[in-house]
Amino acid sequence: MSGSEAAPAAVIPLAEYDDRALISAAQAGNRAAFEELVRRYDRGVLRLALNLTRRPEDARDVYQEAFLKVYRNLHRFRFECSFYTWLYRVVTNVCLDHLRRRQARPEDQAPELASANREEPAVGDFFERQREDRPMHDPERRFLGKEIEARISAAMEHLTPRERMVFEMKHYHGLKLRAIGEALGTTEETVKNSLFRATRKLRTQLEELR
Amino acid sequence: MSGNLPEPVRDGRVLTCEDVKPMLVFCACGELDAEENTAVMAHTAACAACAAELREERALRAVLSDLPQPADRLDPAGVLLSQCRSELGEKLDDWEAQRALSSRRPLRWFRRWMVLRPAWSAALLALMGAGLGVVGLEWARSGGAKGVGNAVNVLATPRLSDQDLANMAVAGVSMTPAAAGNQPAEVQLRLRAQRPMVISGSLDDGDVRRVLTYVVENGRQFDPGVRLDCLDALRMRAADAGVRRTLVAAARKDQNPAVRLRALEALQNVAGDQGVRDVFVDALMDDPNPGVRVEAVNSLVRSIENRAPDAPGSLLSPEDRRVLRALEGLTRNDPNNYVRLQSAAALRQLEPRELH
Repeated sequence: MSGSEAAPAAVIPLAEYDDRALISAAQAGNRAAFEELVRRYDRGVLRLALNLTRRPEDARDVYQEAFLKVYRNLHRFRFECSFYTWLYRVVTNVCLDHLRRRQARPEDQAPELASANREEPAVGDFFERQREDRPMHDPERRFLGKEIEARISAAMEHLTPRERMVFEMKHYHGLKLRAIGEALGTTEETVKNSLFRATRKLRTQLEELR
Repeated sequence: MSGNLPEPVRDGRVLTCEDVKPMLVFCACGELDAEENTAVMAHTAACAACAAELREERALRAVLSDLPQPADRLDPAGVLLSQCRSELGEKLDDWEAQRALSSRRPLRWFRRWMVLRPAWSAALLALMGAGLGVVGLEWARSGGAKGVGNAVNVLATPRLSDQDLANMAVAGVSMTPAAAGNQPAEVQLRLRAQRPMVISGSLDDGDVRRVLTYVVENGRQFDPGVRLDCLDALRMRAADAGVRRTLVAAARKDQNPAVRLRALEALQNVAGDQGVRDVFVDALMDDPNPGVRVEAVNSLVRSIENRAPDAPGSLLSPEDRRVLRALEGLTRNDPNNYVRLQSAAALRQLEPRELH
């Protein structure tokens, strides 16, 4: 046999495709490409849903609804913004709807957290107490840590869905206000106001721990 | 105020505590621009109350970042994530299945319209019912119902759809000889499709030709006897390019050796065609059935012999020599004794031409 044989075409794993290629493939009906996109982003989506709803069953509903919406509407994505922004716009809308629905049903409100013990005497300055280097090694600090967590959790219930969303995306997802605004489909100024109000409310709630 | 820091000015105005306090939240989370940040820093360097407030904002942020997030507690091992992925896969399957179903459902726009407009729908249905009643009565009076279940005679106009072809079964093929000549004047096909059907017409009729070629080309769906009948009908039109393609396909691919043999016979009269010659040579060398190989030998020899010895081009062409080489190979290697004998006889027959 003479001449060189053609090398077989290399098969690139989907995990090595960039978002744009995956989205184009998914838009053309490639289900595996869509599932790869889901795997890239779903951890963050579920965390957001869990942090906001604080209930696994609600977070699961948000996850399913959000990704189904994305799948059904992927053909409308025109690469005018990043996929991340577009995805989070869908996810935050689903989350907000969910939180609003839940607020409208008093029976669905989270029960008051038992560990928020208001009788406990304050030990020094609240914020000063957080400076301990290894809080988990100190039983008193560990107790206070749990109490603070419970307080913050209870305080979050006093925020509006939008304030919670902004607060969550800023503090736990580390997004800039501009990106949050894009995801929520609103201006940076509005996001700033929401974050300011959320922080005020939280601080007011935590004042009692002083 | 500290003398080392610039004057806390924004937009040409000295900042007061009232200005700075709303900015402290954003200062703590790094959302101020450079100018604002410098101004706030300068103010807090001089103002103990605002400095304390900024410390508290930062401490709050530190507390929040130190605390475990609800997600860490609610799904520490990622089990929920796995469940979500699996459920999503199922939901996507369901959705796609539903979409495929709805796309196959005819008149879905009409049904949607009806759901949204119940009064109009009722009126429309009543009107359609009345119309159908009137037409149905007339049809019943004219004796249309008598024909139900009986064969319908379809005459030569192309009315068969692809769907009809795919669903039909051929109950019989018969040819009526012409009054003069030996060509069939008419072919009659008895079909069992959604309703019994008889198609009659000459070989030039569109429907007749379509049924015959469909049967031969889709051999697996039909009985070999029916395929042979169809081949017999089609051989009269072997000169037609479309029919020739069908015969060639049958000679190469049909599962049944009798059908392949009959297809080669049908191609006999057009063996001068290069494509047909290739079919014969391929059958000669590759057909698993010895009877088909012998038929290929005979057909090729006949096609060479039929050329008048004195005619131009009566000498063996390169293609003919290819046939000779194939025959020599068969003479030596064919596992069947009869094929070897026939090949040797064919070679003896053709050698004088080779020496011419």
